[in-house]
Amino acid sequence: MRKLAIAAAITATLISGTAFAEYPEKTINYIIPFNAGGESDVSARFQQPYLEALADQSFVIQYMAGAGGAQAWSQLNGMEGDGYTIMGINLPHTILQPMEKDVGYETKDLTYINFFHYTPNALFVPKDSEFQNLQELIDYAKANPGLVTLSGSGSNSANHLGQVQFDELAGITTTYVPFSGTGPAVTAILGSQTTGGFNYVTSGVNNGDGMRMLAVASETRVKAFPDVPTFKELGLDIVGGAFRGVAVPKSTPEPIREKISQMVTDVNNNPEFKKKMEDAGFVLTDITYDFINDFVAAKYEEYREIAEKLGIANR
Amino acid sequence: MELLSYFVSALTPLNLLMALGGVVLGTIIGALPGLSATMAVAVLVPFTFTMDPATGLIALGAIYTGAIYGGAFAAILVNTPGTPSAIATTFDGFPMAKRGDGSLAVTLATLASVVGGLVGGVFLLLLSPPLAKVALAFGPPEYFWLAIFGLTLISALSVGNTIKGLLGGCIGLMLAMVGVAVVGGDIRFTMGTHTLLGGFDIVSALIGLYCIPVLIDLVATPDRHLKVEQGNRGIRFLEAFGLAWKSKFNVIRSAVVGTIVGILPGAGGSIAGLVSYSEARRSSKEPETFGKGAPDGLMATEAANNATVGGGFIPTLVLGIPGTPPDAIILGALLVQGIKIGPTLFSQQGDIVYTFIFGLLIATALMLPAGLLIGRYAYKSIASIPKTLLVPTIAFLTVIGSFAIHSNLHDVTMMISLGVLGWVLNRCGFAPSPIVLGLVLGKIAEQGFVQSYLIGNATNNITGMFFGRPISLAIVALAVFTVIYPLIFAKRKEKAKKRALDAARSYSESNGETTVPDIQEIKASSFDPLAGLKKQIAKPRDISGMVVSAILIVAAGWAYSQTATMSPMGSVFPSTISVAVIILSVMLLALNFLRKPAEAASETANASVSRRVALVLVMAGWVAVIPAIGFASAAIVAFLILSRVACYEIMGPKRQLTEALAAIAIVGGLYLLMAKVLLIRMPSGFLF
Repeated sequence: MRKLAIAAAITATLISGTAFAEYPEKTINYIIPFNAGGESDVSARFQQPYLEALADQSFVIQYMAGAGGAQAWSQLNGMEGDGYTIMGINLPHTILQPMEKDVGYETKDLTYINFFHYTPNALFVPKDSEFQNLQELIDYAKANPGLVTLSGSGSNSANHLGQVQFDELAGITTTYVPFSGTGPAVTAILGSQTTGGFNYVTSGVNNGDGMRMLAVASETRVKAFPDVPTFKELGLDIVGGAFRGVAVPKSTPEPIREKISQMVTDVNNNPEFKKKMEDAGFVLTDITYDFINDFVAAKYEEYREIAEKLGIANR
Repeated sequence: MELLSYFVSALTPLNLLMALGGVVLGTIIGALPGLSATMAVAVLVPFTFTMDPATGLIALGAIYTGAIYGGAFAAILVNTPGTPSAIATTFDGFPMAKRGDGSLAVTLATLASVVGGLVGGVFLLLLSPPLAKVALAFGPPEYFWLAIFGLTLISALSVGNTIKGLLGGCIGLMLAMVGVAVVGGDIRFTMGTHTLLGGFDIVSALIGLYCIPVLIDLVATPDRHLKVEQGNRGIRFLEAFGLAWKSKFNVIRSAVVGTIVGILPGAGGSIAGLVSYSEARRSSKEPETFGKGAPDGLMATEAANNATVGGGFIPTLVLGIPGTPPDAIILGALLVQGIKIGPTLFSQQGDIVYTFIFGLLIATALMLPAGLLIGRYAYKSIASIPKTLLVPTIAFLTVIGSFAIHSNLHDVTMMISLGVLGWVLNRCGFAPSPIVLGLVLGKIAEQGFVQSYLIGNATNNITGMFFGRPISLAIVALAVFTVIYPLIFAKRKEKAKKRALDAARSYSESNGETTVPDIQEIKASSFDPLAGLKKQIAKPRDISGMVVSAILIVAAGWAYSQTATMSPMGSVFPSTISVAVIILSVMLLALNFLRKPAEAASETANASVSRRVALVLVMAGWVAVIPAIGFASAAIVAFLILSRVACYEIMGPKRQLTEALAAIAIVGGLYLLMAKVLLIRMPSGFLF
């Protein structure tokens, strides 16, 4: 009886082992929890051909927009955990949303696999703006509290956090004007509807001719914009932006999780992919499955502090 | 000359094939409510990576333009906009089909779409860089006023029933507020559920509000869905061409309006269609025919929405700001191909851009033969197909369409609930179109308002922000003009009538004859500011309207109480709308108390209540069993039951067998289109 059990166990392991070894065997759905055209979509589109070559299967990008991504993330764990459904995942979104209110998922319920890039925040002004550098803007804002309007994508978003930190560290008061996405927020800057705006560095690539980037919120200068100083260089300790990666339903087996993380990392190491992403203003990161939970935990504490200042840490 | 060489390079056999294939596929997808251009373009992007960039772009552009055009089919034939762009197409398209002019409507829509698409494309070709500035000149106040302008159409859509129209608009605005607010980040009116976090999806609301009432009324009587045309008049091309030529100014104006609205990111085809519809109605010599099957209204909408395709590409290519969701995907595809977007694109990568624009123009022109061919069969088959197949097919389309948006059954439930609600409200005199206008324009109006307020407040110039900008003022003037014009027009018409009657009277007097009724009429039409009110009071008391207003007062009171906990940014719109709902409802109630009680209502015709209830129950049950037995098997079972519900005759075994086979073919074909072509994730229960 016992022998039989062992034999069964071995066979099961072998079968599942081979099953996992062969993964992926069919089309993989890659769900983006936002509308098309945003940074999450564009970076997934960059990955798509490389992932397909690597896995020898097609990756189908689908959109499931709603509630700033919460619509999709709250449904993720109800999807089939066979490795053929993966979903784009973003920080600080998945930390801030459940911190503020009940959105149908908790930060720790999600199974993070790999964060492969991040887009630092940057402060933009229109091309013909009177402000040539950050100091001029700060001086003006000091003299005219509240008069400087800064556009950004959505309320309580990465852009919004950037504006809050900027106000606090520079000792100024600016007015944040939320828009329904990075596109409309950039349009507002280009058209001088607002004084300027917090947006992702990537927006500076497509609209470089119409806007001036005053400072970027990354640790070091961004490769696509070697001439733009970081906030840190200018004496303000602002580092922020959005991390993007992939997640899977909770029921996905461990070996498949590792395999997906490996594929994402392999694509990141492809020099051609790397160049395309960096030219578009993305900063590649390598936060793999092994230590992604520690990373999220550390970020949780960091964002909690800012969220409390913003008055949105309700839960 | 250089442009000509690009034109020639667009004319390769492969490009032509891609353009034709794209247009046909797009038209079919657009004609099916719920399946969108965004979906089709998103799925096909990876295939274009293997093609030459220009060829890939042509295929994507052709699908996009085809889908916007295809939306007209569903609007004309089943009163349901296939895409949001075709909302205003239903106003006149369906009444035309209903009276037997379906072929004419389809041909007119095709002509207008082709002209609109070509105008938009020519603007894209010749004037892109300067026109892109329009996108930048539109700030938050302009978007706010544009949305308000769109809402003024309610007054035109609900003549003689203005309070109910405005209340309907408020219901729509309120529905648009549900979910997570973009500005302020508040969670509003979700009643603690997660399913409402994302709010009411516009497409599933459109399908529900327009299509479910059609279904409920279809099963109630054995009458035909559409009147079959007398004799075989084909596609009535010459007649349609004559009509289009007669209103060439209308078509061109609508196409220009469509191009400009298309340039505005976030506005899109639905607003373009509504604005040009409103303009066409205002400038028409017979505005009273609008909404009852006026070819001019249909052509205005269709010319405008296809013009947004070319218009939308202008900011996409020049500024890197996508005008619409399909533009956004195409922009992503360009980025991945390594094409640098921006004003330099036209000078430095002209070979790709100009080949693409010519490809788009060629695809638009190909819509004419392709559309006419599809249209020829579409109307005939919808008009002649027996109800036992038509009802379940439309029902299946509503389910599959609302499911496809997010691969989610919640949207289907929402669609059916809104549909039943819409049917009830319609019976009480609240038409669906104002509700839809409110739903489509609510978010744009709210965001524009709050952003303008924030900027105005920061710069201490709130009045200047709303009333001191030239483009804003122009839109405000247009909106005011649209509201007032029908009144001036009515008075002018009355005067003309009076003159005619005077002449008639003097003529008859000279003849010594008496025309008493005429004299009475003249007295009635003399100026009386309270005449409208008196006319309203003279109507019999409307009990159902009173019940609805009572319910609305309670609902608005609840909504108002909810706004207390919201941020100031998130609460200003919902609280204003709730107050408006309460005021309007009280007015409606007061008006009804002044009226005389209605005589015992005579039940209209011999409509079957049980069949209506059965339809709703079957559809609700259908959604409930999908997770258990799978999408396809649930569809086949429900299809067969619904065909019984819609059956008014005794069918022989042969016909029953044919129809069962047809059921399997329809369900199977659409299921494969969804699951295998558009790669939508379908729930599979223990069956399939």
